[in-house]
Amino acid sequence: MSDEKVVKVSGVGKRFRLRPGGTRTLKSAVLGWMGGGKSHELWALRDVNFSVARGETLGIIGANGAGKSTLLALLTGTMEPTEGSISVAGSVSSLLELGAGFHPDLTGRENVFLYGAIMGLSRAQMRERFDAIVDFAGLSDFIDQPVKHYSSGMYVRLGFAVAVEVNPEVLLIDEVLAVGDVPFQKKCMDRMTEFRQQGKTMLVVSHDLSVIQKMSDRIMLLDEGRVTGLGDPGDVIGSYRASAGQRAAQSMEKEWGTGQVKITGVEFRDEAGNTVDSFECGGTLSARISYEASQKIDDPVFGFALADSAGNTLYGSNTQLEGVDIAAIEGTGSLMLNLSDLYLAAGSYLFSFSVHSADHKTNYHRLDNAFGIACRTDKNAAGSCCFPCSWDTTGT
Amino acid sequence: MISLFKDVCERRELLWILVARNLKIRYKNSALGFFWTLLSPLFMILIYATFASILKWNSGKPDYLQFLIIGLVIWQFLMMCLGDSLNTITGSSNLVKKTAFPRVILPLAMTVANLINFLLTSVILVLYLIIMRISFSNLGWLPVIVLTHFALCLGMGLIVSTTNVFFKDTEHLLGVGTLAWFFLSPVFYSISLQLDRLPDSLDWAAFLNPMTGIICAYRVCLMSDTSPGRGMIAVSFVMAWLVLALGLLLFQHLQRRFAEEL
Repeated sequence: MSDEKVVKVSGVGKRFRLRPGGTRTLKSAVLGWMGGGKSHELWALRDVNFSVARGETLGIIGANGAGKSTLLALLTGTMEPTEGSISVAGSVSSLLELGAGFHPDLTGRENVFLYGAIMGLSRAQMRERFDAIVDFAGLSDFIDQPVKHYSSGMYVRLGFAVAVEVNPEVLLIDEVLAVGDVPFQKKCMDRMTEFRQQGKTMLVVSHDLSVIQKMSDRIMLLDEGRVTGLGDPGDVIGSYRASAGQRAAQSMEKEWGTGQVKITGVEFRDEAGNTVDSFECGGTLSARISYEASQKIDDPVFGFALADSAGNTLYGSNTQLEGVDIAAIEGTGSLMLNLSDLYLAAGSYLFSFSVHSADHKTNYHRLDNAFGIACRTDKNAAGSCCFPCSWDTTGT
Repeated sequence: MISLFKDVCERRELLWILVARNLKIRYKNSALGFFWTLLSPLFMILIYATFASILKWNSGKPDYLQFLIIGLVIWQFLMMCLGDSLNTITGSSNLVKKTAFPRVILPLAMTVANLINFLLTSVILVLYLIIMRISFSNLGWLPVIVLTHFALCLGMGLIVSTTNVFFKDTEHLLGVGTLAWFFLSPVFYSISLQLDRLPDSLDWAAFLNPMTGIICAYRVCLMSDTSPGRGMIAVSFVMAWLVLALGLLLFQHLQRRFAEEL
């Protein structure tokens, strides 16, 4: 990686005008001119600034509709920014949609040459690469068949093979790994690793956070068209998971109870006592729960539950179960919940807190799924837990 | 405009591949394939010859059939371009949305493919004219006429393909428009029919329709038809190149919004 910036994006914004009723007809246009039809504006991107150095891989993450695909379209040059400027040094090949631009009636061979010509390669250059493309796609028997007879897997394989073989200076990849079977995905991953080693500049969009974390040198987080994070993959993904967790929490959040005691706030801290909402797997989490009791309450029980982002409870406990007696509370106060060895897999999680009577008959205040936290780990294991594990292979 | 020309020159590989694609796809899946390029004008000549003689269309012109067929072949080139241009951008939405290249190559490739088709058809037409012992004159002007004809077709292709991206009514308007244009152009009647109805000082107005001068010029060349005068034909030729200029301006101005609109 060098200091030379291959991609420079400064102050970029992209505005779309959304028309009610879909496609434009003469009637809607005339109404529009007369001021009758209303179209509203949507800024798909706003104030986007970043640059990518030669040989760097930048991952781009964000929720659906955050502006990721618009950004790639601007970089490819199919759309122009409404404001700001974009400069890309050298040729750009995009794996935006594998096999985009293939014509169903043309054969694989003809489509390969068409794609090469679109990328600006001469026929001679394409002829040199042709065998490698067919070989990589594994389609030597079918290359002279019209691509409409291809299976979707064959289509995608040919698309990927062409896009990487045109050997662009900048490669844009949009959610490519979501397609194809497992061996092909592995082949693609290997090829992308090779690309990184060769010092190619790549911009990758993916929803698969663990894959993108491994591949990228830096990650950019987009939220509603704005850059809300840019930097170390672990940090950005951690905060993205936390905010995604909070969003999930909002939809599953439920607050209820009689209100004699109110939980007024919860603050999460790490080992060092810093207020955070993203934790290392195996770390320690402390939650300070503040409450306010409008009258004297005897034998209150404070409880918590931890759920995954889908709302499935993973663990829950309370002061009664842990043998902690609270004789009575009145007025404001706080207590601390400590969870050590937080062996959670990477992802976002939801906390619920409650305060109820010792006989569980009266719920003073419950905040279900109200607090989102995130966990981060490099280990890409299955499930919600992430126990430390080791293997003894002396008997093999 | 110069940079546009340079862009296209640099991407001529793409242009040829797209031209070849357009030609291939037209005859893909048909048993006779490419022979249709030669067969359809042949059938057209046969059908018109039969019906023109049955219906006694000749209106006193002994070479009316040749006159009619030249007009129809010329009109056909424009018709094909207008029809294809509806799909030039909208039918390539995948390419336009996902890849970057000078967009003008798409309508250009469409028009060049139709030009090749037109030239091959003309081979049949010229053979027919030779068989009918028609006397040619001024063949030196033919390249200029074909080039102007091409400019008009490209210009119209640019306008229609652009408009169809933004207004879905284009297709319907085009159907009505071409029909009116067909009757306004001297395809199956002689230009004198129009000129007789106009005061002499307004004769030039008939040639504001670029197709009028183009058809007249072809007939002067290919069958020594009486010329309406060079000045009149020049009016139509200037109009044809103006259509191309307008088409290019419109297309280049709006092409940056294609990816969003598709």
